[in-house]
Amino acid sequence: MNGKLMLGVIRALRVGNCRQWQAPAAGITVRHYASPPKRFYKKTSVLSGDGGYEVVLDHRKLKTPKGSPFVVRSEPLAIAVATEFDAQKEHIERSRMHLSALCFTAIDNPNQLSKLDMVNYLLNFIATDTVLFQYDDETDLQDLQVNEWDPVIAWFNQRFETNLQKTMDITPPQVSEQDKMRIAKHLQSYSLETLHGFIFAVDTLKSIILACAVIEQMLTVEKAVALARLEEEYQLKFWGRVEWAHDLSQQELQSRLAAAVLFVHLNCSENFVKQKLIL
Amino acid sequence: MSGTKVLRSLLHELRQAAPNGCIKDSLAARYVLAQYKKFATTEQQFCKARNEATFLGQTYLTYLSSQRQYLEIYKEFHGRGERTVRDTADLVGFKLPSDPK
Repeated sequence: MNGKLMLGVIRALRVGNCRQWQAPAAGITVRHYASPPKRFYKKTSVLSGDGGYEVVLDHRKLKTPKGSPFVVRSEPLAIAVATEFDAQKEHIERSRMHLSALCFTAIDNPNQLSKLDMVNYLLNFIATDTVLFQYDDETDLQDLQVNEWDPVIAWFNQRFETNLQKTMDITPPQVSEQDKMRIAKHLQSYSLETLHGFIFAVDTLKSIILACAVIEQMLTVEKAVALARLEEEYQLKFWGRVEWAHDLSQQELQSRLAAAVLFVHLNCSENFVKQKLIL
Repeated sequence: MSGTKVLRSLLHELRQAAPNGCIKDSLAARYVLAQYKKFATTEQQFCKARNEATFLGQTYLTYLSSQRQYLEIYKEFHGRGERTVRDTADLVGFKLPSDPK
């Protein structure tokens, strides 16, 4: 009897203690994020095999998130990925490794996209292209857009023999079937992996015209990002520049676009040397 | 940007990205230098767009420098949890009761 009473008291005390201890903690929510993996290797290097180039972390071969081996056909691309892994400090910050992420996406193809899906996605983007939507209520902004964007649209129309017209209001620009066919023909000429890079560039710039201009070397990466952020830059003059928002987004867009452009170029460039025959 | 300037900036960025600040046995630095040697006289040895090598060099330079600058801004401004009483007092220029006047 006595023992039972004691147990009951102890239990009550414990419950009471528990409540007292929990009460202050209930107001604070603690979030638990998965910590990024630690850097588990010392040195990175590149191996060349018959299928292509592989990245080696110490003695382990790099694998994609899906578990397939990381193999790329281009040597500079493999070197860039190895350098990126080598540049990680204590943790591997996968969200900031755009070039590696792009290679992984191209190898794994997690959404099982076919070439046709990707070309259709890009074609649907034309009607919402940033540079085709201009604004004529403010003359300064309008001048800026005419001076900066119109030459790029003109270049695009000349290069792909299309006839894209800008729009001054909310109605989307008219894109004829013929224009779509011409752009689709150009996009179809890229390989599946390269199109992944292309989509990454278009998603970064929100403009297929600017993306084409950078990939065809008509604009530099910095200039293209500046053109994509043209209105933001214009408004910054009046409202001030906030480093942790505007500069951060600018640097992020630049590194994303640069990764996409590098990826596209390194994936489509294959050079072989043909010796002249000396008779 | 001229070729030499791009090369110097590229090596500078690679050195900053390297974990120990040394690019003596860095693959990327070696590759870039080899490319520069190869195209020392002219870039137009292959049927490629004009200045393609310089363009790629510049793009890689943008990639490295933007990533570094992004990380710098991120480190400076990203929240590190709640501030202590002393940090908040320092921020607005107050003194704690325990501080000497």
